[in-house]
Amino acid sequence: MQHTSPIREPLITGGKTYHDITEDVCRQVEAGPNPRWAAAFGVALIGLAIFFYSVYRTLWFGIGEWGLNKTVGWAWDITNFVWWVGIGHAGTLISAVLLLFRQKWRSSINRAAEAMTIFAVICAAMFPVLHMGRPWLAYWVLPLPNTFGSLWVNFNSPLLWDVFAISTYFSVSLVFWYIGLVPDFATIRDRATGPIARRAYSFLSLGWTGSAKSWSRYETVSLILAGVATPLVLSVHTIVSMDFATSVIPGWHTTIFPPYFVAGAIFSGFAMVLTLMLITRVVFKLEDYITVGHVESMNKIIMTTGSIVGIAYTTEFFIAWYSGVTYEQYEFINRATGPYWWAYWTMMTCNVVTPQLFWFRKIRRSLVLTFIISIFVNIGMWFERFVIIVISLHRDYLPSSWAMFYPTWIDVGIYVGTFGLFFTLFFLFVKFFPVINMAEVKAILKSSSGVTQHGHHPHANVVHGAATDLNTNTKHSNE
Amino acid sequence: MQDRIKYWKGIEELENAPEFEKHARNEFPEFLPVNETNAEGASASGKTHRRDFLKLLGFSMAAVSLASCETPVRKAIPYLNKPVDLEPGVANWYASTFYQDGDYNSILVKTREGRPIKIEPNNQSALTSYGTSPKAQASLLGLYDNNRLRYPLIKNKEASWEKVDKEIASRLANVNGKVAFVSSTVISPSTKQLINEFGSRFGNFEHVMYDANSASGLLSANGGVIPGYDFSKASVIVSIGADFLGSWVAPIPFAKQYIQTRKVSSENPAMSRHYQFETRFSMTGANADVRVPIKPSEEAAVITAIYNAVTGSGAAAASVPNAATVTAAIKELQANRGKALVVAGSNDPGIQAMVTSINRALGAEGTTIDTAAPYYTKQGNDAQMIRLINEMNAGTVGAVLFYDANPVYNHPLAAKVASGIKKVNLTVSFADRANETAALVEYITPDNHYLESWNDFEPKKGYLSLAQPAINPIFTTRQMQDSLLVWSGSRTNYYDYIRNNWRKISTGDFNEFWDHTVHDGVLENGTSMLQVNTNVVATAPVIKAIKPTGIEAVLYEKAIGTGDMANNPWLQEMPDPISKATWGNYVAMPRGMAEEMQVVQGDVLKVTMANGGVIELPALVQPGQAAGTVSIAVGYGRKLESMPVAVGVGANAYPIATVVDNAVFFTGPVKLEKTNATSPIAQTQTHHTIMGRLIVQESTLNKYKADPKAVTEYVRVATHEGPAKPTTISLWDDYEYKDHHWGMVVDLNSCIGCNACVISCQAENNIPVVGKAEVLNRREMHWMRIDRYYSSDTNLESQDLGVVERYDKMEDPADNPSVIFQPMFCQHCNHAPCETVCPVAATMHSSEGLNQMAYNRCVGTRYCANNCPYKVRRFNWFAYPNNEKFVNINTTMQTDLGKMVLNPDVVVRARGVMEKCSFCVQRIQLGKLEAKRENRRPVDGEIQTACAQSCPTNALVFGDMLNPESKISKMLAHEQGERAFHVLEEINTQPNVTYLTKIRNLA
Amino acid sequence: MNKKYILGIYDDEDILLDAIEKIRAAGTKIYDVFSPYPVHGIDDVLGIKRSRLPIAAFIFGLCGMSFALWMMIWMMGFDWPMIIGGKPHISLPSFIPVTFELTVLFSAFGMVWTFFIVERMIPTFRVNVFDKRSTDDKFVMAIEVKEGVTDMKALNNLLRSSGAIEVNEKEVVK
Repeated sequence: MQHTSPIREPLITGGKTYHDITEDVCRQVEAGPNPRWAAAFGVALIGLAIFFYSVYRTLWFGIGEWGLNKTVGWAWDITNFVWWVGIGHAGTLISAVLLLFRQKWRSSINRAAEAMTIFAVICAAMFPVLHMGRPWLAYWVLPLPNTFGSLWVNFNSPLLWDVFAISTYFSVSLVFWYIGLVPDFATIRDRATGPIARRAYSFLSLGWTGSAKSWSRYETVSLILAGVATPLVLSVHTIVSMDFATSVIPGWHTTIFPPYFVAGAIFSGFAMVLTLMLITRVVFKLEDYITVGHVESMNKIIMTTGSIVGIAYTTEFFIAWYSGVTYEQYEFINRATGPYWWAYWTMMTCNVVTPQLFWFRKIRRSLVLTFIISIFVNIGMWFERFVIIVISLHRDYLPSSWAMFYPTWIDVGIYVGTFGLFFTLFFLFVKFFPVINMAEVKAILKSSSGVTQHGHHPHANVVHGAATDLNTNTKHSNE
Repeated sequence: MQDRIKYWKGIEELENAPEFEKHARNEFPEFLPVNETNAEGASASGKTHRRDFLKLLGFSMAAVSLASCETPVRKAIPYLNKPVDLEPGVANWYASTFYQDGDYNSILVKTREGRPIKIEPNNQSALTSYGTSPKAQASLLGLYDNNRLRYPLIKNKEASWEKVDKEIASRLANVNGKVAFVSSTVISPSTKQLINEFGSRFGNFEHVMYDANSASGLLSANGGVIPGYDFSKASVIVSIGADFLGSWVAPIPFAKQYIQTRKVSSENPAMSRHYQFETRFSMTGANADVRVPIKPSEEAAVITAIYNAVTGSGAAAASVPNAATVTAAIKELQANRGKALVVAGSNDPGIQAMVTSINRALGAEGTTIDTAAPYYTKQGNDAQMIRLINEMNAGTVGAVLFYDANPVYNHPLAAKVASGIKKVNLTVSFADRANETAALVEYITPDNHYLESWNDFEPKKGYLSLAQPAINPIFTTRQMQDSLLVWSGSRTNYYDYIRNNWRKISTGDFNEFWDHTVHDGVLENGTSMLQVNTNVVATAPVIKAIKPTGIEAVLYEKAIGTGDMANNPWLQEMPDPISKATWGNYVAMPRGMAEEMQVVQGDVLKVTMANGGVIELPALVQPGQAAGTVSIAVGYGRKLESMPVAVGVGANAYPIATVVDNAVFFTGPVKLEKTNATSPIAQTQTHHTIMGRLIVQESTLNKYKADPKAVTEYVRVATHEGPAKPTTISLWDDYEYKDHHWGMVVDLNSCIGCNACVISCQAENNIPVVGKAEVLNRREMHWMRIDRYYSSDTNLESQDLGVVERYDKMEDPADNPSVIFQPMFCQHCNHAPCETVCPVAATMHSSEGLNQMAYNRCVGTRYCANNCPYKVRRFNWFAYPNNEKFVNINTTMQTDLGKMVLNPDVVVRARGVMEKCSFCVQRIQLGKLEAKRENRRPVDGEIQTACAQSCPTNALVFGDMLNPESKISKMLAHEQGERAFHVLEEINTQPNVTYLTKIRNLA
Repeated sequence: MNKKYILGIYDDEDILLDAIEKIRAAGTKIYDVFSPYPVHGIDDVLGIKRSRLPIAAFIFGLCGMSFALWMMIWMMGFDWPMIIGGKPHISLPSFIPVTFELTVLFSAFGMVWTFFIVERMIPTFRVNVFDKRSTDDKFVMAIEVKEGVTDMKALNNLLRSSGAIEVNEKEVVK
């Protein structure tokens, strides 16, 4: 079933044993907070504070605190929303799609990637709520009868589709992630020394024993979840893109959007995963699990999706010209040469030009360059959404209403703040949860690290080692 | 609606006259009427005073009506016994009259529970039926102005009326020196007579009238009156600097006449040709077929040329600018004798004399000039005023009373007026607040607001109208006329005075006649009452040439007029028809000058005037502004706390006006220097050309005559069956409207861009004012806007340019562009993009074709606004009511007094919800209910939206498109395929609003 | 009464697989096998039947889909019909996204809950595992001891010979 060609480079290096894996991963959880972690966490908390302040201003005084106006009704809010959702997608993609494709290299990174998905979606979900004029009524978008009669929601509205897409996506990802965590929680539970830790982790591990029958069901569940999560992740960004595609605004009303947005999501998501992974592997000394090999394969995906996005951009221009619609044509000329030209060209440089550097193996395998380029891609993808949303709106049909959009400090504050939120969650995760899926890594260890597990440790040690931690009512049988 | 007008006190009066007389005398109590009610509670009749209840209730209902905006009801006072002709929740209408600075409107005042809440046109009037001016609409706000004086002042200290009356009466009794009564134009026969009677007691009395925006040149050239211009009879109109649609002499009557010559149909494609020679880009210029920018100093040359050509005389003439156009105009004038009219805005008696003889020579008198019925709307005499100012400074004036006059602010010799006032022993002002002049006088005896007063008017000879109070005086103010009566020891009050005055012209039973006139508000049977001084020596047609020195500046009236209404936030935020600028004035300069001075819009300029005075104003690049000239609006730069809304808005430009032999010219030389400061100008439209888009259509009369079907371009979509109407391509079958299908037709030929609809909509629908800062943030809330597009020299066909430069150039207006106005508001699309995208179904379609907003269902995602191709949706970015941030901006939603103006039929929107034009659904419902009660179908025209109702040129036609007899159905049927088009038809939104292509009468 | 088990501890999955076959061949019934990760092929040698969870997922998915369609058609078409953008009250194309999402939601959650139920997985504070190392790096085979029936010595040898690195006994208190 799991055939790996001998020439493929090992996915786990440094001749690790099963036990080493357990040790390496659990160390983070069991040891006290390491200073680098504490520092980073502190920074994250500052960001969180900024977030709360900006939100307070918005809720107390109103959306007028933002830079929006009668012509540009969405700007940073929805830009950030789409950007965060897009980032989230890589997680699901890595865990689900690569699982279906039996890509073993995913094993070391999928856990963190999924966590990133969930936190990114949390950040994303902030914006649809905050951007409402009356966020305290946000629950009205759920199909509940109106307080004064059975007025329901409007199922024709793409925004409502979003509600269902995002919530489904969030909950399914959460379950998927948790299912993956259960065996590892069990591991930590069985190693735990302190009573609190033991109770806590046994509570989380739902009494997992790892019996053969459980494992077989467990694998079925993971496989099916992966099976449904894959179309789900595609559907989510498709639906997000429909917010624009189903409208009548030139630059929004485009049938190419669904595939183009999905590609963009994968593109930005992988970039974000890389950014985070490259930091984590250094901070937690996981170089042997997240190897240059992983980085390279992810860079290949970035290069591919980057090119897809590039093609999408050019197609838009072609269609605008080919359609012969003046509004459409002006929209795209305005993108490239109008008052927001700089946003457009930032997007082009970051999204279309930089990923092409990955054609060179050296760059693909250089961690520093990868890190820099991944940052570039993140910036570029933010600007992609900004370009689509703001530049399309600020000059649409009637020139009398054309206007400019200028962000306020509150706009900036909320965006920066969501980073605070994201990293607060992410750092808590890396501290208290196993960052790497131990069970899966162990499963692929034998086939993908050159080392056999046999004879690595003479029996005797184990016997004694075992004897020591046998419980009282067990008598030693070879006496 | 006629049948809903209520007689003023009709029943009471007819039933028990003595009782009534008693009440009538108490019409203007000199203490709070609240007490009066209690005092009179046990009076013989046992009847209590109707208007007091109305007033008490008025306050309470204000709070009640605000319940809708989620604020708690503060107080509610029930009726103990209900006033006679008042049903809670049912409006009463009172016929009345608005007049200010020549802007005359016969109006109906809509009151709810005793509160005037809306000004509507009085369709009985031949002069101003069906339509009002924006100022008339906004004048309502003055009634609830928190900064009005609430009691008389002596030396700026509160005083009782008794004290004031005693002191003034005694000091008048032994006044030595001249007694002067200074006012702006008074067109009230009774008031004028009263003033003269008041003065007759003194040896030396003079009633001095002057107008801030003077027409004394015109008057002196025409024997003290303004010729009875009748634009409706003219087929060629030549105007030299006369903004007769906006601010000149009598704009609304003129607009009504003018538009009759501009409406076209394929049966009758006749249209007047309108030449406009002017300096600034006026609203009138925007409507002209041929517009020539000239300097003020060139007006003389143009007129002399016409004069010489038409009268055959050989007056000395400077070289004529645009000689070709002038000759063309002359040719047409001569070709249309008896159907031609020439008007000039200049205040130079010589110029006006020439114009008069030109018109005479063209046989205008008796045809395009009704010699029998001249206009009285401007009577100010500059020479008289200037003489008085000198006398005051000479100390020969013993007493001066200022009524409706603020010379310390709006006269070019303001400084001398100020110094003069100090030299006068007794100084009285009737101003409603301590304005610049009143602040300097000893006594301020505040006048009522006109909606609290009785008065009569004669704007045009033989056209009389009345004003009746629609509410009791809110404060302890007293009508000027009553003050005069008291001070001259008379017992009668002004109400009786008018009645006695009108007995003279009464026919048959006087009470009947009176009731009827009060009910109708107008009496236009040719009887005339106003005394005007007509023994004026007609000036010779000799021009006092203005020496062209440096940059010539012209002054003009912007939204707030001459400045009396500067404290009116509705007007402050009303965009200028041309520049679309709100909140304040600016230096409008031609592009050439801006480039020369390296000035961009918003750069603050130091403006040095002839008298050495300096003001600082931002620059605005105005296409069509004559080269070497700038124009600046008057009325701004107020500094008094008595008008907080206007404080810090713009600068005072009056000192620029120059005085040439006792005539005030609204022009003057200025020096401009660029400063480093910048101050952005709050425009509601910052992009000015149509970018070659098919959103607003125009054509020429010749094309229209040749083939009416060729003037409008219709978009077709390519299908496999060949080109198809976009509306025919649809995924589903359309919803069928069974009962009504409301729609509107907008005739682009008729819209003159005056903004009356904008203010009317604002008043009707409780639309907040957001202030300069928020307008700069592009967040104005107007539901109804008038888009103004300039023509550009570049268009999509300009192939010499690359595509990018072409679009770039298309953004620049031409140097003397043609202008097209397009009223834009919710198009009530039958395939509305906004409805589809609302997640909570807060906006959906009614079964009568209305696009509805359920405010309290809206969660405020703004998706609908984004997806609206017309960008007509407005979002409540902040809480505008009860928000100290807007206390001096959105005055109608902060204080109890301000809130009284709110329309109880329309909710005040909460923060965070979307709003937009509702086609005045509250009016539609009312109309349907009335019809239902009378068991009939609604009659066409009885249901009117606020905008359509107040449009002076009837450019907006609202009605039921399912009723084959309705005006709108007929228009649509007729114009289909000719001038009728939908904006953005190609995206198949299927609007219920149809536009009619504009036709220009180009040579 | 207490149950007694003999535990064979292995440290390599291949050896484990062989051992299982050997022991079952010897006619000994294996109670269960615990491993730190899913050992592939163990199902066949232990004779574990394929899980029927996919069927559950499918059925739940169907429920989700029909619920979504019923909900939208009833709300938009019957309970409170409105004219929205000139579209018919029941415009199926715009119902597709929500239908899809609910299908996924139901099938995912339905299946996971079923899994938890059949596995009796609930949050608990005390778990007894035969050998704590089975979640770290050891593979533990448990064989139930029937008093008097099972030949302990033979079983012990059998396990050892099958490659167990250690053999323990454990009593589970019932």
